[in-house]
Amino acid sequence: MDDEDMSCTSGDDYGGYGDEDYYNEADVDAADDVEVTPTHSEEAEYECLTVSQVERVFLDGVNQLIARIPVNDKCARTLLEANQWDVERVVKLYRQDRTDLFRRSHIDARPEPKRKLSATSGVKAKGYCTVCAMEGHAELPHLACGHCFCEHCWKSHVESRLSEGVASRIECMESNCEVYAPQEFVLVIIKSSPALKQKYDRFLLRDMVNSHPHLKFCVGNDCQVIIRSTEAKPKRVTCLACHTSSCVRCGADYHAPTSCDTIRQWMTKCADDSETANYISAHTKDCPQCHSCIEKAGGCNHIQCTRCRHHFCWMCFGDWKSHGSEYYECSRYKENPSVAAEANHVKARRALEKYLHYFERFENHSKSLKMEEELRDKIRKKIDDKVNEHNGTWIDWQYLHKSVSLLTKCRYTLQYTYPFAYYLTGSPRKNLVSFLKTNLAKMRKYKTPKTHNWKTGHIFFRFDIFGLTKSDKIEIEEYYKIILFGILYLVYEQSYKPKSCDRLSHTGVGL
Amino acid sequence: MFTLSAHFPPVFAHVHFCRMASQLPRRIIKETQRLLADPVPGISANPDESNARYFHVMIAGPDDSPFAGGVFKLELFLPEEYPMAAPKVRFMTKIYHPNIDKLGRICLDILKDKWSPALQIRTVLLSIQALLSAPNPEDPLATDVAEQWKTNEAEAIKTAKQWTLSYAQA
Repeated sequence: MDDEDMSCTSGDDYGGYGDEDYYNEADVDAADDVEVTPTHSEEAEYECLTVSQVERVFLDGVNQLIARIPVNDKCARTLLEANQWDVERVVKLYRQDRTDLFRRSHIDARPEPKRKLSATSGVKAKGYCTVCAMEGHAELPHLACGHCFCEHCWKSHVESRLSEGVASRIECMESNCEVYAPQEFVLVIIKSSPALKQKYDRFLLRDMVNSHPHLKFCVGNDCQVIIRSTEAKPKRVTCLACHTSSCVRCGADYHAPTSCDTIRQWMTKCADDSETANYISAHTKDCPQCHSCIEKAGGCNHIQCTRCRHHFCWMCFGDWKSHGSEYYECSRYKENPSVAAEANHVKARRALEKYLHYFERFENHSKSLKMEEELRDKIRKKIDDKVNEHNGTWIDWQYLHKSVSLLTKCRYTLQYTYPFAYYLTGSPRKNLVSFLKTNLAKMRKYKTPKTHNWKTGHIFFRFDIFGLTKSDKIEIEEYYKIILFGILYLVYEQSYKPKSCDRLSHTGVGL
Repeated sequence: MFTLSAHFPPVFAHVHFCRMASQLPRRIIKETQRLLADPVPGISANPDESNARYFHVMIAGPDDSPFAGGVFKLELFLPEEYPMAAPKVRFMTKIYHPNIDKLGRICLDILKDKWSPALQIRTVLLSIQALLSAPNPEDPLATDVAEQWKTNEAEAIKTAKQWTLSYAQA
């Protein structure tokens, strides 16, 4: 793989999540196939790494830290993992309060439990393990906190935690002890079981990658590639091994102009049939930190996510710390009874209708995208025919090919404007129209014919005109931009009015 | 005054327990033996006749609480993974308590994320006994009860006493 091709300079700091950024860096000459243009503004800058390359990334971080503060490599790794691999931050915290940093990173225990230990030393002499209640153990391994248990119990504990998917956060078995078992400790404990070791290594890699803000697993099936990108915006990455495209931030299918949060909500809604979806939305909530789906099977509002160990309030999703000492006040909980008082079934039905309206269109575009592949083949054939008939050269006809690519791209974006529109709240019309107007004003400097027509929905017929214009000077990306905004407008303006999509499908056929 | 031993003669329970102890982990055997031989004041825990992992528990309402004078029946089950996983405990007797719901489920951190293999049946039951002495409406399970406990504690305590009288008599 060629790193030059897929990674370029990073760090441009856009003011926020604005759609205009997606298309700013258009390179028309290179836009033969918009899907693989690396400099395209929709594409994030990224690298595809193998497991061993990722290990090198971790090692680099560890070495950087070792050079700055006097800790060993294993300790450095744990510190970095607990602090989002931010070397500067670890160094700063280390200089501020070393003991506190070690405690927060679960490397060392609070001072209190250590004192207690002296009381149990007599028991320890007999090789007594409190967990299995057996004496005569030759060895009683312990973590930094000094709590001793026999190897067999440690192994059962590790096995039990692994079965829950916990690897880097396996706590000491002692009650209220927050020290995590480091990798070298766990590996010794499970050395006799290759199956456990394999599981542990897999989960540990997963935890390490998840703890690193610039690393993401490729979402492709059985794909081992790890994508590295510093991109902060929801841009597109395409795995070089399995060619799966995804959003660099959330790992879902690329979804401009809809935001990551919105698309997550939308996909959950679509993934299941209404009954399942209803059940999930009624009975489960996502962890506010890691977005794992959590079902509350019992207990109070104080929830701890088993995945990321985050404590939060089930009702308002606030950090539990803010609830703990002060008076229990959960405003969202109080709102619920009044909402419930309204005619729920009427509301549910209306909500379902609205959802189906958008979902149908979302799905239609998805299907149309597949059909456009056929269209592309047809066009390829047509171009061959034309060239064979000496009717223009192959290059002359490339605009047709470009048109289809553009159409596909537009349709893809259009598809993802439906979830966007579905979740519009407040006064969507106002927001959207003002949004469109601002962006349109920016575009006026480009000489694009009849842009005012977008208001009446004629924008889609511009495809034909565009397709027939042989001039390479046409700024494809600008068209794309105008069309997108027109589409956004239409999605909103024509909500609940049928046939807004029909016109689009005709465009495809009309090419 | 009610005495727990009158209902569960420890000697009988012990004889029976030894008969089925052979397949049990040593840890459970030791814990059970100690629970029977050296019971916690105000708490009795006896293994079921047919299942040594299932315990019939009785907790006397602590004197300083609205539950004083009541005897509360609980069930405790040690899952296969015990002690790597927490025991499952549930109140069988109706109780008006902000951290115990209608179905008898208990909101107690050591039964959930704060479980540690170093904890025991004994410590769990002691914690439940302590929970009766100190209801914690800030971390509620039965939200309506918790609300009452916070807004009108006197009334809540009155209700708890009434419930104790109505449902928790031996």
